[in-house]
Amino acid sequence: MSLEILSPVDGKTVAMTEVPDPVFAQSMVGPGVAVQPSGGRQNALAPVDGTVVTLHPHAFVIATEAGQAVLVHLGIDTVKQKGEGFTLHVVKGETVRAGQALVEWDPDAVVAAGYSAIVPVVALDAAAEALTDISTGADISAGDPVFTWQG
Amino acid sequence: MADDRPEKILAALGGAENVIEIEGCITRLRCELEDGSIIDEPALKKAGAIGVMKMGSVVQVIVGPEADTIASDIQDLM
Repeated sequence: MSLEILSPVDGKTVAMTEVPDPVFAQSMVGPGVAVQPSGGRQNALAPVDGTVVTLHPHAFVIATEAGQAVLVHLGIDTVKQKGEGFTLHVVKGETVRAGQALVEWDPDAVVAAGYSAIVPVVALDAAAEALTDISTGADISAGDPVFTWQG
Repeated sequence: MADDRPEKILAALGGAENVIEIEGCITRLRCELEDGSIIDEPALKKAGAIGVMKMGSVVQVIVGPEADTIASDIQDLM
């Protein structure tokens, strides 16, 4: 089914190829779009209705009932921060609504620590042509649609 | 279906004695190795790796969304 994917954060959409990590830039795990976040401490929101199937401080995967799984990665190489500065509002296995606050984090602090705070939003295992209405170069608010996934 | 990927991936990384640390990170295995040069890249790909990134003794094996499960299975084998 057609699934609208919402931005987890405020910021500006950029093409996935701009992400400084080959796994995302080359869409190795799926296509999508990235959001260059703006501002300091804030909540990252769920991109879709579904279940939290994977949860790390710096990244999470939400799977819909139809089995479409969306990965949100908060910054690049932020695993090295060992969760510092990331506060989880949900647990693995929890059912969430699109737009629900999942993780509190601080993009400015990530940048200050020397990492990219860019947020790849990935349609896991999707075919590139399954994504439509992909936003790039647009100023968006958290909760705004960034692409549609024809599942 | 038995999943033999953890076993095959561990072998391709040079076995348990070559792996200092392995950690699943959503879509990839982050591996800290004794010797990053002895990994068998074709074998990793055959075992299901989508990609392999080598940065000296740190090797990232891209396996897709099941990375966390595969990493903990590999930890169990070590």
